[in-house]
Amino acid sequence: MADKVLLVGDGPLAEETAAFFREKKVEVWSLEQAREKAVPDIAAVIDGVSGPADWKKEGLRQAEALVFEQVPIFTSALYTCAAQAASWLNHPQRVAGFSPLCLREMKTVEISRPLQAEEDSGWTARLACWERWGKSVEVVGDEPGLVFPRTLALMVNESAYVLTEKAASAKDIDTAMKKGTNHPRGPLEWADRIGVDQVGWILKGLFEELGEDRYRPAPLIRKMIYANRLGRSTGRGFHRYR
Amino acid sequence: MIGAGTMGGGVAEVLAASGCEVILYDVTREALDEGVQRIQRRLGRQMKKGRIEEAEAEEIQFRIRPTVRLEEVAPARWVIEAVVEKLDVKRELFTRLEEVVDGESVLATNTSSLSVTAIAAAVKHPERVLGLHFFNPAPVMPLVEVVSGRMTHADTMDRAVSFIAALGKEPVRVKDTPGFLVNRIARPFHSEAYRMVGDGVADKEQLDRILRSAGFKMGPFELQDLIGIDINYAASTSVYDGFFQEPRFRPHPDQRQMVESGALGRKAGRGHYRHGG
Ligand SMILES: NC(=O)c1ccc[n+]([C@@H]2O[C@H](COP(=O)([O-])OP(=O)(O)OC[C@H]3O[C@@H](n4cnc5c(N)ncnc54)[C@H](O)[C@@H]3O)[C@@H](O)[C@H]2O)c1
Repeated sequence: MADKVLLVGDGPLAEETAAFFREKKVEVWSLEQAREKAVPDIAAVIDGVSGPADWKKEGLRQAEALVFEQVPIFTSALYTCAAQAASWLNHPQRVAGFSPLCLREMKTVEISRPLQAEEDSGWTARLACWERWGKSVEVVGDEPGLVFPRTLALMVNESAYVLTEKAASAKDIDTAMKKGTNHPRGPLEWADRIGVDQVGWILKGLFEELGEDRYRPAPLIRKMIYANRLGRSTGRGFHRYR
Repeated sequence: MIGAGTMGGGVAEVLAASGCEVILYDVTREALDEGVQRIQRRLGRQMKKGRIEEAEAEEIQFRIRPTVRLEEVAPARWVIEAVVEKLDVKRELFTRLEEVVDGESVLATNTSSLSVTAIAAAVKHPERVLGLHFFNPAPVMPLVEVVSGRMTHADTMDRAVSFIAALGKEPVRVKDTPGFLVNRIARPFHSEAYRMVGDGVADKEQLDRILRSAGFKMGPFELQDLIGIDINYAASTSVYDGFFQEPRFRPHPDQRQMVESGALGRKAGRGHYRHGG
């Protein structure tokens, strides 16, 4: 029988996450649907909300109330670490952080273990569903942005500073990284794909959680988010789209 | 082409292959001969692989005229310098070059980490000085950063961009800031990787695996083993110092320790990973 997952959140990233599950023939239930018609056999809760923290908290609490105690809850760790998300719930040991970025493209999925689950012997076994969904699991430390999102966000941030200084154009920045050091995409076109707001969340999470200047989001990124220049999804980010 | 080392020889080959007449200058006969031999060997390998005809390889070599006399570069319209990475050496060289070549010629430096502006300030007409930052190996890497110093004339930049495009390379324009584009924006790729490993977020193999899975050809640690951990560390410190110790660019202590321990990457047989026997 097909797996069912309960998806928290909407917006482009949550939609893409949902699209990944549908490709894997996994049934995706929304909170609304699950409230109307009880689904007893949910395999996992997938929280695709990056932030703000209040929304995540609200969504996660609602989801927790709708599933059995042993159902794993995977929460996007782009902005919050898993330990923070776990702190909002009644059964924190079943929480794991994950990265929803480029979920369809990547053959691995990054997962983080909250401190609250440190001694839970059943925690690792609850990751098995990802293998079923065709991913090899990489368990990494529980910090905002995990590995790939953190790496990418910092390169985008640096590029935003270059733009602010008018030291180069967005197009030339992307060309430079592709042709000068073989990156698969330029940082700015990559940001436009995943959403400039997502880059903002990752940087904000690192800055708040680790408290260091090196993670400070470039003012340009904050302004772009205010101006709804979020990338492909809104027709304009660092580049323009039709 | 001034300097017949790794970069000078590579750029000379690029220029000659696209039809330019090249005067290749180096200070010593030995360095010059070595440089020319390296070009010959590379062309020989390309011939064997069937990428170029023998006649073509001969023509390319024929177009490169080696010399140890600086006066012989006088007819050059484009002068590209790729000598040792030392500001005083480059400045002295540019002062001499200005006297040798025609007033219309462009003077370019291939520096990776020095200020183009500081080099240009050595000459009377800094508006015709700019950076042409090729990547190693020059015959293979398509990118050239065309770097505008504080005094570089807009027209010099435009001419250089067209010139680079005519060589079949990919020019990008960038202002004279530490690390230019590639070395600067790639800093977090490397330094944050050290940091994540240092803080126990991931181990090196795992981090490389994750970033490969995201689409990078190589993770930061395997890439550093290839380019040299010392070279990457030098890039880190020069960008960090160039920005007056901006925290975003702070290198990681493990970077220095790797260098101190002699684990420099593939060339040393060991780096982040073991290589060879
Ligand atoms: N190696 C790289 O990966 C790389 C990449 C991009 C840019 N660069 C830059 O290119 C330049 C050269 O680097 P390289 O790796 O080719 O060095 P290299 O040591 O291989 O070659 C330098 C050459 O310059 C010659 N030289 C020294 N002083 C000279 C002088 N006064 N006049 C003429 N020739 C002189 C030396 O004899 C030697 O042949 C440096 O500025 C470096 O920062 C290097």
